[in-house]
Amino acid sequence: MIYIVTALPCESSPFVEKYHLKRDGCRYFPLYRGDGMSLIVSGVGKMASAIATTYLLAQNLKPGQAEEEEGLAIINIGVCGAFHQRHPIGTPVLIHKVMDHETGKQYFPDILIEHPFKEGSVETHNNVVRREDVLSGRVELQADLVDMEASGFFQAASRFLAPHQIYVIKVVGDYLDVVDFDRQRVAQCISDTLDAVEGFIKQVEGLCRAEGDVLTQDERRQLEAAKESLRLTVTQGHQLMDMARRYKLRTGRPLPDLSEFIQTDVKVKAEGKKVLERIRRLLLYE
Amino acid sequence: MSKFSHIYIEERAAIYPVAQQVLSRFPGSTRVMIRHYKDVFNRPRQDFRRQKASTKLILAVKPEPFLYPGPEVCEDFGSQNFYYTSPVLNCIYDCDYCYLQGLYTSANIVIFVNIEEFFKAVDRQLESGPLYLCPSYDTDLLALEGIVPYASRWIEFAGTRQGLRIELRSKSANYGAIAHLKPVEQVILAWSLSPSEVARRCERLAPPLKARLKAIMSALQDGWQVRLCFEPLLKVYNWEQVYREFLDEVFSVIPAGRVLDANIGVFRMSKEQFKRISKLRSDTDVFAFPMVCHEGGVVTYEDEKELRDFFYRQLNKYLPKEKIYG
Ligand code: SF4
Repeated sequence: MIYIVTALPCESSPFVEKYHLKRDGCRYFPLYRGDGMSLIVSGVGKMASAIATTYLLAQNLKPGQAEEEEGLAIINIGVCGAFHQRHPIGTPVLIHKVMDHETGKQYFPDILIEHPFKEGSVETHNNVVRREDVLSGRVELQADLVDMEASGFFQAASRFLAPHQIYVIKVVGDYLDVVDFDRQRVAQCISDTLDAVEGFIKQVEGLCRAEGDVLTQDERRQLEAAKESLRLTVTQGHQLMDMARRYKLRTGRPLPDLSEFIQTDVKVKAEGKKVLERIRRLLLYE
Repeated sequence: MSKFSHIYIEERAAIYPVAQQVLSRFPGSTRVMIRHYKDVFNRPRQDFRRQKASTKLILAVKPEPFLYPGPEVCEDFGSQNFYYTSPVLNCIYDCDYCYLQGLYTSANIVIFVNIEEFFKAVDRQLESGPLYLCPSYDTDLLALEGIVPYASRWIEFAGTRQGLRIELRSKSANYGAIAHLKPVEQVILAWSLSPSEVARRCERLAPPLKARLKAIMSALQDGWQVRLCFEPLLKVYNWEQVYREFLDEVFSVIPAGRVLDANIGVFRMSKEQFKRISKLRSDTDVFAFPMVCHEGGVVTYEDEKELRDFFYRQLNKYLPKEKIYG
């Protein structure tokens, strides 16, 4: 599942169209869902981005799911400003360092995959930064790019996910010289990057795909049934799964038939413990 | 993405000659300036396994302390004042059983560029008596010699100090990188060896046994003191035969009489590390055998003693007992 966070509706619309996302009934945010993708429109500012990111992930992730769900990652995409005119307008930049101008904190996504983008750093500000602010020395920039969301997004996302599951892509929209904000131009900037972003998303999904469990679905079902009929505690349940995995890794064979144990209907927990001990002997010493 | 695609550089580390030297070896890498190496190295929820597939370098300045007392579980070879030091954190190899994956939250390699300060710390320590030091402790310095020449720096440094003995432990076959140096009495080159099958299955990216034996032979011929480390001994199918044949192979190449000494260590690890790593590594059988936790929180095989004694007897056929530790 890929989660996307944009600040503005004009940044989200190219995604909504391309991936045929449908508006969700969410009362708090414009939220769109489609096949393997959810998108939220946060509004402008790092606080807004942090709130929307938290909402999106907290709503959708169940405990422990972050590691298990197939290809799970979150991406903040939007336009940004650049002081130096090194990159032409419309250039997408994959961010390797996010700096928060106000707190001075820095955040680092893990870039473990090949990608088609230029890389750079972004500095998130509470207020709009204008070219004259930098020229006059009122604002001192340390990063290549300037935006108003990335640090809030990153901070929120890293409460839930690993640094290789969190990405920021900023598209150079202006050189800090905007007079009239042009929604259509912004949408066009984002649209032009969609092909590259699509390829990138595939790469990210591949990287984040959960590694296969040594236990087959049937075996997991069998063990779950054993846990229930033996009235195992949560800890005992974990021990049983752990023993089963170790058995398979060590012997390279499928699990032995545990149906004899599953059929034992225990009345009190102490009986279950005894049966678990028998399973332990079978699984650890064969 | 390729190894070392990114190099993170602490602002204060950039001016050190070692940093410049490392950077010049990777002109195509993306450079990211950072304030403190822990901002990258200690991030929460990093994925050690995935990072291993695309390891990054971090150049940093180590603050004090530089030397740490050697831990109980490590063999001191009868030396007083056993210390270790870590001028590099993490390793380019990827052994299934490596304790570093339970020690650090990141697989990225930190190179501390202020090597001179490590040397000064050793000098200070030497003022209070002789010192036995392991600088290749949380890493494999010889394997990294092509990236940062710390194995040779330590050898050259040790050669000029009285009362200092250092052990440089490695699985590398990269002896050629230090072959130009004159053997130094204060330095022991130590090689960790495993049966071919274990090396192939569990020591990913490390050179095969034959290549390591060849490196050892070259070192011996040049006059270096060489230690053999049979550690960790791992349970494998038919282990008695595997380990017997392994020793036969080792000593068919290496003249036993020329070896300084050897140590034996059955696979063991602290309880916390075992718990953490075994969860991470469902792709190997290393953690899948029945284990016990001894006093002091050290986890090892239930039949550790049997394994150790068997191996000791076999090794004793080649080396006298005074030369066998562990
Ligand atoms: S060589 Fe040593 S430090 Fe390197 S991965 Fe293997 S066990 Fe770990």
